[in-house]
Amino acid sequence: MDEVKATRTVTVTNSAGFHLRAATLFMNLARRFDSHVEVIKDSQRADGKSTPLQLTALGAWEGDQLVLEATGADAEQALDALVELFVTNFEEEEEPEQQQVGQSRPEEDTADS
Amino acid sequence: MKFADFVSREAIRAELVAKDKEGVIRELVQAWLDTGSIEADEQESIIKAILKREELGSTGIGRGVAVPHTKHPSVDRLVGTVAISSDGVDFNSLDGEKVQLLFLLISPPDRPGDHLRALENISRQLRDDTFCRFLKQAKSVEDIQQLLDEADNNQFVS
Repeated sequence: MDEVKATRTVTVTNSAGFHLRAATLFMNLARRFDSHVEVIKDSQRADGKSTPLQLTALGAWEGDQLVLEATGADAEQALDALVELFVTNFEEEEEPEQQQVGQSRPEEDTADS
Repeated sequence: MKFADFVSREAIRAELVAKDKEGVIRELVQAWLDTGSIEADEQESIIKAILKREELGSTGIGRGVAVPHTKHPSVDRLVGTVAISSDGVDFNSLDGEKVQLLFLLISPPDRPGDHLRALENISRQLRDDTFCRFLKQAKSVEDIQQLLDEADNNQFVS
């Protein structure tokens, strides 16, 4: 079998960041492929198929870039599918009864003390 | 963000009594109510919101850990607790395993960043097998608090 290695760079665009449900969706989708999948943020690497904890530990925020790396025969197909999750914002929907009013979400305090 | 920033000692439970998912979630919220930090009349609304989030997909994320959570307007800062169920609870976890270790998180709707920071902290610490195992084996609130303090002091994450 040909061992293919593919990489893609994605940007986290949903306002809530790469949260638990997003990580779970990612993992469930990654597991449908045979390829080994890793998510890289700066110098941190996370196994994309083991547990969502690996992915949420990256602490990826809106605007952060992540590198997706897949190794295996279906590496390209796996990344095509996984990139789509980021493009569609993980099918993000605000919970109706807690929906925020207006278009401007409250400011994220970026100064992490 | 450290555990000390969102885990209140008074809300830690070393042995959950409930044996099912909803019961455990109710017990966790009750633990918070007992601290006096949440109004009693908000209880059902919080429980309902947490259960609704679970319907989107279990927060039982494998390795015997669950992180039930919700946004809720009754809190003005992120609050959370840690609880142990030594027998384990069926949480419809991703890996099908019962859950022994639970982290409850309730965050204000306008501060999604705090939730992500807490989740990042919990995730990082739990990647350490020793921390995860010790926490599941903890028998008292003191044991749990000590482990959280040690984690906050970077004694587990290398």
